[in-house]
Amino acid sequence: MNIPSLIRYSNILVAPLYSTAPATTTTTTTTTVRCTRAENIAIEGCNLNFSFTTNQANAVPVPILKDCSLRIPSGQLWMLLGPNGCGKSTLLKILAGLLNPTSGTMFVNKPKSFVFQNPDHQVVMPTVDSDVAFGLGKFNLTNDEVISRVSNALHAVGLSDYMKRSVQTLSGGQKQRVAIAGALAEACKVLLLDELTTFLDETDQVAVLKAVRNSLDTSAEVTALWVTHRLEELEYADGAIYMEDGKVVMHGDVASIRSFIEDKQSIYIKQINS
Amino acid sequence: MHPSQRLECTWLIPFKFKTFPSPINSNHATFPFITSSIPKTLSFPKYPLSIFKPKKTHLPLKVKRTSFVIRASNDDNSQTASNWSKWIPTGYFAADQVFRLIAGATASPIGQFVSSPTTFLHSIDPRVKLVWLLALVVLPARSHIIMRFGLVIFLTLLSILILQREVWKDQLGRVYFLSGLLFITLGLGADGVPSLVQLRTPPPALTGLPNLPVSLSGYSYVIAKLGPLTFTRKGLSVASTAACLTFTVFQSASLCLTTTTPEQLASALRWFLLPMRYIGVSVSEVVLTLLLSLRFISLVFDEVRNIALGIVSRRVNWKHMTFMETIDVFFNYFRRIFKNIFSHAEQISQAMIVRGFKGDSDTHKIYFLSESSFGMADFISLFFLVVVTGAAFLSEYYLV
Repeated sequence: MNIPSLIRYSNILVAPLYSTAPATTTTTTTTTVRCTRAENIAIEGCNLNFSFTTNQANAVPVPILKDCSLRIPSGQLWMLLGPNGCGKSTLLKILAGLLNPTSGTMFVNKPKSFVFQNPDHQVVMPTVDSDVAFGLGKFNLTNDEVISRVSNALHAVGLSDYMKRSVQTLSGGQKQRVAIAGALAEACKVLLLDELTTFLDETDQVAVLKAVRNSLDTSAEVTALWVTHRLEELEYADGAIYMEDGKVVMHGDVASIRSFIEDKQSIYIKQINS
Repeated sequence: MHPSQRLECTWLIPFKFKTFPSPINSNHATFPFITSSIPKTLSFPKYPLSIFKPKKTHLPLKVKRTSFVIRASNDDNSQTASNWSKWIPTGYFAADQVFRLIAGATASPIGQFVSSPTTFLHSIDPRVKLVWLLALVVLPARSHIIMRFGLVIFLTLLSILILQREVWKDQLGRVYFLSGLLFITLGLGADGVPSLVQLRTPPPALTGLPNLPVSLSGYSYVIAKLGPLTFTRKGLSVASTAACLTFTVFQSASLCLTTTTPEQLASALRWFLLPMRYIGVSVSEVVLTLLLSLRFISLVFDEVRNIALGIVSRRVNWKHMTFMETIDVFFNYFRRIFKNIFSHAEQISQAMIVRGFKGDSDTHKIYFLSESSFGMADFISLFFLVVVTGAAFLSEYYLV
């Protein structure tokens, strides 16, 4: 790992995270970031820590997230990148409320929706339209309104002709789009999307990206945090976060994150070739 | 080297080798045992192997070609305990074949809705279909044998007419196999025990009374005798009831599920169960459970197939595995299925929570988006059901 470059980037890390100058209190052991939430922030996490303890006796807690801080403005699509096992999905699950952080504070606009990496884990109902409508069960809507929302959401992901299809007969990419349609139908203010394009080919990948981008463009209140490994998806994003070893290494505009990752890639390739 | 492998060589040496029979297991290092019975008249050659043989040989000119077999075997310390393993099936019924069969059998899940082509059964109200299902469960048990077989033929023809060729062949093949197996087993097994043992009265030979006269009408309790097996009227009755009931239950359910979405079925079931709310039945919970079960059928089939395919694709050399190792693979297979299914269940429960389900089925509304309307086809279907039910009950009295 290129330590000097990391130090260099961690110096500029704090700058894009805060719209105003952050109030930082440095003690001898830890650095605590005091968060002051701005009006237009949809997702915010401050010094989030998460440890996992096994059931064995005398087990030492394994730290998964270490002092993760992030801030995402409302109405933007941000990407969360990082190598496997760096804690991206864990951070997303904490923001979704599926896991409780060991320490730290967070704020996420409501209503929020979470889409799992594996669509088989997300799709609850046996038929496409009823699955998209499942999330609407918490609202008291008329049948006409539900039908309208479901058909709009399915249209957005290009599955208008699949309303009565059994989920079992769909491909991985189609299931993923059904899962996204379920999130879109709920008209949530925050979309937390965990590696949506893992099972998709290039065409489906672009279709899903455009569907999410479109939902953000049509409503200024919708914010999305998208976990991905694919650098080419950055072109659809308004900002990005790079994580490594449970820490937010970099947080800022797309160009900086892209060049940072490309630098790391070139260093890695040089190491392999040398 | 596997014990079944044999090394056959033809050497240009004029003596025969004696070989030891090889032990069954050869898991470790192999040591060939070769003995020879060298003719006393022949001197031992300087170059015994042909590849090392110089042009001018020491051997006689007329050399007899002798083929012999060398069996390689290992020097396993547990030779005596390994003979039983030859009884392990390694041919067609090998573990690999079992996994392939499992993967093939679960490739098309039972009871999957087929949306197109849309047939008249698709348009029938799901409530009518549920009534038909109930009737087809009751009728084979309470009707004459002709009626039972008539229902089987009716369902077979309906399946062939309604479903696509691949679908009905798959469905009917499975159900006919199961029903046929039941018919044969029960037909021959119902009176399998010799009747002498069951008699309550002593046989005529003991009492000195003449045998009962043969029925003039041609009635005979025993229909056919197949060696030690007897096919009697009781066997026919039991076998036909069980086989027809099995067929009608499975095939009618398959037909219904193929032409009805799970949500339509759940909606129909809710309609029938709604009055039970007044006696404290949680109808919405029953409906949600049904829907989740129908969703899980496909997931279970997927898991069973995927893990079986995973094992097949590893190209495990089953012949080199001991019986216990093979059993271990099967246990691991079942363990993996359950682990993955429970993991799926956990993930889906998380997804439900994320999507707003708080654990109370009454507060989380399930929307049934398909509108059901009672049309002419439903009335005709109900009328036909009444006719069939009437015929079934009348057959009990008029057909003897």
